[in-house]
Amino acid sequence: MATQIIMDLNGDTRHNFDAKDVKALSEAERRFKALTGAGFTAATRIASGEPIVTRTFDPTVEETLFFPRLVGG
Amino acid sequence: MRLLHDANDQLRRLLAPCLQLARAFREWYLRPSRREQRGLELLREWLSQEQLAQYDAHKYFEVIGCYTGKRYRICHGIGGNVIELDDAALPKTGWCFVPSDHLVAGDVMLVQKIALETDERGALAAANNFTPR
Repeated sequence: MATQIIMDLNGDTRHNFDAKDVKALSEAERRFKALTGAGFTAATRIASGEPIVTRTFDPTVEETLFFPRLVGG
Repeated sequence: MRLLHDANDQLRRLLAPCLQLARAFREWYLRPSRREQRGLELLREWLSQEQLAQYDAHKYFEVIGCYTGKRYRICHGIGGNVIELDDAALPKTGWCFVPSDHLVAGDVMLVQKIALETDERGALAAANNFTPR
């Protein structure tokens, strides 16, 4: 089961989906594009645990984290 | 004198439950909200073992900037909580950058960590700097 985690006012919202389910995968890809298009950054982790930023939807990724754009505080 | 001593004992016995109640109320009042807990849980999932140990011990953790190799200390907080360290690990410059949405502390710190580890220049370009205390 893959997960998309979106940071929001509630802490985060999680969308779990089966990457083998074509419909669910399509919905996950649509969500990825909508969020990154809205300015969210998508990050995943490599095997060692280090984060990397990803710009394209990868159906093999287990967990993707989306966070809003950065601003000066 | 004996009377005063007895009165003191009785007063202590009377106050002990009140103090316990006050402590319990304080703990309840200061407890992290569910959303704050979720943010901290997510942060803990993404921290390296070393960072997690630092955070548990000191309420801060350190990250290495991906471009410059500089060390930054991210303290528990939601703004003005990123400190660039010098070679002697002393505070050099404070950097203030946060997610555009209002997020809980755990989420803010996680975003700051990922930004410095993957896009240090972009993070600092968005940031305002300040002199740390």
